[in-house]
Amino acid sequence: MSVWKTNDPDVKKILYIQTHGEKDPERTATPFFLATAAAAMDNEVAIYFTMNGPQCVAKGNGDKIVIPRKGGGGKELKFFIEQAQEMGVRFLVCQPSLDLHGYTMDDMIEGVEMIGGAAFNDMACEADAVIGF
Amino acid sequence: MDVIKEDQVLDCTGMLCPMPVVKTTKAMKELQSGQILKMIATDPGAPPDMEAWSRQTGNELLRSTTENGKFVFYLKKK
Repeated sequence: MSVWKTNDPDVKKILYIQTHGEKDPERTATPFFLATAAAAMDNEVAIYFTMNGPQCVAKGNGDKIVIPRKGGGGKELKFFIEQAQEMGVRFLVCQPSLDLHGYTMDDMIEGVEMIGGAAFNDMACEADAVIGF
Repeated sequence: MDVIKEDQVLDCTGMLCPMPVVKTTKAMKELQSGQILKMIATDPGAPPDMEAWSRQTGNELLRSTTENGKFVFYLKKK
């Protein structure tokens, strides 16, 4: 059975891939807000966090990672994370990417789901769009 | 131009992408089929965004216009 939940052919499935984390705050918000907009258009949407991506959904980092803004007044990543969750965007991680940072699932914010490489590729093949950052 | 009578007004003045889309989605969920939402926004990305949102969700964009320097959209719930 697919990780995707919908069986409705009218519901499009969009998979975002986030590979950036704490070192690149300016690269962290976009996947969340594009996913939020996609979910607001009645699509089924997931973000797969790999490489440094799991840092975006590690507990405490939502406050710590601040999206810079020229001239000051950056916004915390937490705002974008919460918007995405509120619209029903799902957050996925895989074990090797957690190991990379010494994380366990207990270090992830609530709602993060664990999948593996096979499930990821299955999702990608079934998706209407796969967008990587 | 005919006057469109809205059932509800949503003011997204000052909000940036993707907030107008998110707020519109939430507001539409509260409406009954056939009811009309008037949404006001200042985000320059709002006109193409609301057209795309309408196309994707099937809720009809009855009118996209500007009033007093703001973008105004009339959306009919499917």
